[in-house]
Amino acid sequence: MEQVVGEREAEEFTVVARKPYFGLPTACPICLPLFIYLKLAHFPFRLSFNSIFPDSDQIPYVESGTYVAYNNENSGVVECLKKDGIVDLDSEFQSAPDWVSIQAMINSWLADALTYELWVGTDGRSAYKIYYSDLSWPIGKVLFLKQVYSVKQRLGITKDNAEHREDEIYRRAKIAYGALSTKLGEQNFLFDDRPSSLDATFLGHVLVTLHALPDTSVLRSKLLEHDNIVRYAEKLKTELIESGSSSSGPQFRSVPSSSTPRKGPSNWSSKPKSKPKREKTEEEKTFKRRAKYFLAAQLLAVLLFLSVMGSYDSGDLELDDEDEGISFN
Amino acid sequence: MEQVAGEREAEEFTLVARKPYFDLPTACPICLPLFIYLKLAHFPFRLSFNSIFPDSDQIPYVESGTYVAYNNENSGVVECLKKDGIVDLDSEFQSAPDWVSIQAMINSWLADALTYELWVGTDGRSAYKIYYSDLSWPIGKILFLKQVYSVKQRLGITKDNAEHREDEIYRRAKIAYGALSTKLGEQNFLFDDRPSSLDATFLGHVLVTLHALPDTSVLRSKLLEHDNIVRYAEKLKTELIESGSSSSGPQFRSVPSSSTPRKGPSNWSSKPKSKPKREKTEEEKTFKRRAKYFLAAQLLAVLLFLSMMGGYDSGDLELDDEDEGISFN
Repeated sequence: MEQVVGEREAEEFTVVARKPYFGLPTACPICLPLFIYLKLAHFPFRLSFNSIFPDSDQIPYVESGTYVAYNNENSGVVECLKKDGIVDLDSEFQSAPDWVSIQAMINSWLADALTYELWVGTDGRSAYKIYYSDLSWPIGKVLFLKQVYSVKQRLGITKDNAEHREDEIYRRAKIAYGALSTKLGEQNFLFDDRPSSLDATFLGHVLVTLHALPDTSVLRSKLLEHDNIVRYAEKLKTELIESGSSSSGPQFRSVPSSSTPRKGPSNWSSKPKSKPKREKTEEEKTFKRRAKYFLAAQLLAVLLFLSVMGSYDSGDLELDDEDEGISFN
Repeated sequence: MEQVAGEREAEEFTLVARKPYFDLPTACPICLPLFIYLKLAHFPFRLSFNSIFPDSDQIPYVESGTYVAYNNENSGVVECLKKDGIVDLDSEFQSAPDWVSIQAMINSWLADALTYELWVGTDGRSAYKIYYSDLSWPIGKILFLKQVYSVKQRLGITKDNAEHREDEIYRRAKIAYGALSTKLGEQNFLFDDRPSSLDATFLGHVLVTLHALPDTSVLRSKLLEHDNIVRYAEKLKTELIESGSSSSGPQFRSVPSSSTPRKGPSNWSSKPKSKPKREKTEEEKTFKRRAKYFLAAQLLAVLLFLSMMGGYDSGDLELDDEDEGISFN
């Protein structure tokens, strides 16, 4: 089912992802499918977190010694790992007739629907918690608004068509869920009852939709209409995430960013509380520095303006003096 | 195969689309699928052109008397026509398991690839001809650049990831073409050897890719690798577009925008030369008016600035006078 290259087992693989939240090992919808894929393949790895750069395209990435596979290179980490022969679940499925179209559907319609719902549909509360809760409020808020704008650009949403686009996004998600529900049936996995990367991608989507979005979310309610998908997701979540950590012992530790020392095994659901403070200090330093530059630039502009104004005023005074000088002669 | 509501046949349906080019009845990749869909359904309609608003989301639209179905309402014109019971080719297919996923794949991966190739990949020469060739050069160029920027935003292309995104877009198109080639096989249509809206959408994409893009286009060369798709497209093009106009007589006239008088039957390939001049005058008037407002705003800003500067100068002179007044007392 999986192929692991023997000589790499000597060095551990580390997955660097965004922080856990909402009962999920990593709450970011881009990081979670990678995590699930490696779990489905029973591939041993250490999980590490990095919240310093919430808008980085490189996260999630996998590294082992000098080898590293970033999210924004070569069609993603899963494809890199397949190409480099490290782990491949899909070798028998890629010729299946609906493999490509279902992959397209999950990666476009469902991914767009989740992005929309996270950032726009639910006022972004969940997205804020996932990405910016470690940053100080003004900085986090600014980055959040910047990302919301970027999402709207990407989804082609303007003031005029906002309602129409929202309807279209939900409609497409609804029929996609219907098609996947039909495809899944009562099986354990989407294709041939065996796990594949599409299960990882779909499962990541479903778990974030079910757990990270609020109850009022339209997308979440559309997903809940399909019992077999919900059962499939909860079953795999229990198998891969919750029982996995206890059965595999010290191999599956969660540690913070690599600059801080390891703290030993910890349960998925507990949030490491002392570590965010250390990360916060680093982030605060970075952003305080940026804020200082910004304020300095502002002050400089104000000073320049005043000096330009001032030279006009002093021009007046000089003329006065000259005049007075002349009058006394 | 098709359902036409009897009472509507009394009034003719008019399809308003963008102008013909590259030997296609309408060269715009959003308008062409709608045209093909109506042809596949043997639905009689008149074709009309509108090039005044190249970035309008409403085009293409179908109207008949007081009924109108715009592109940007209710998931598109095809869905409107289905819902309103006017013409529906898809009633038996929508439950097919891969119907939804193939629709998603064509509407996302292939549509994005064509958009990219038209506007960015080939330096936008073809897109310029399709949308802006009727406008005067400066206006057309500005609107074109604005649209290129908008396309890059929508596809999430930045300076940093431009190469990676391009590779990803082409890779996805390539595997989509492979999957559709396998699905099509040697049949005449994608599903059950009977025409459907997906044939219209796919055929529209293929015809624009083959005819509107230059030979140097990467996307075009990837499509040409699949002989069965090329045969499928050329065969349907001959049946629906070229023979259709001669066999159905005066019903399929091409006329310009509704404000100009009809000119009688004309062949698809001849471009109406006197009509663009009348359209151009209207467009030029609109844009000249906008340009005048812009220049007026500029002048006003300059005048304001000068008056403020002058205010300081006259302030100097006034003080001089007062001083001289005092000295002579």
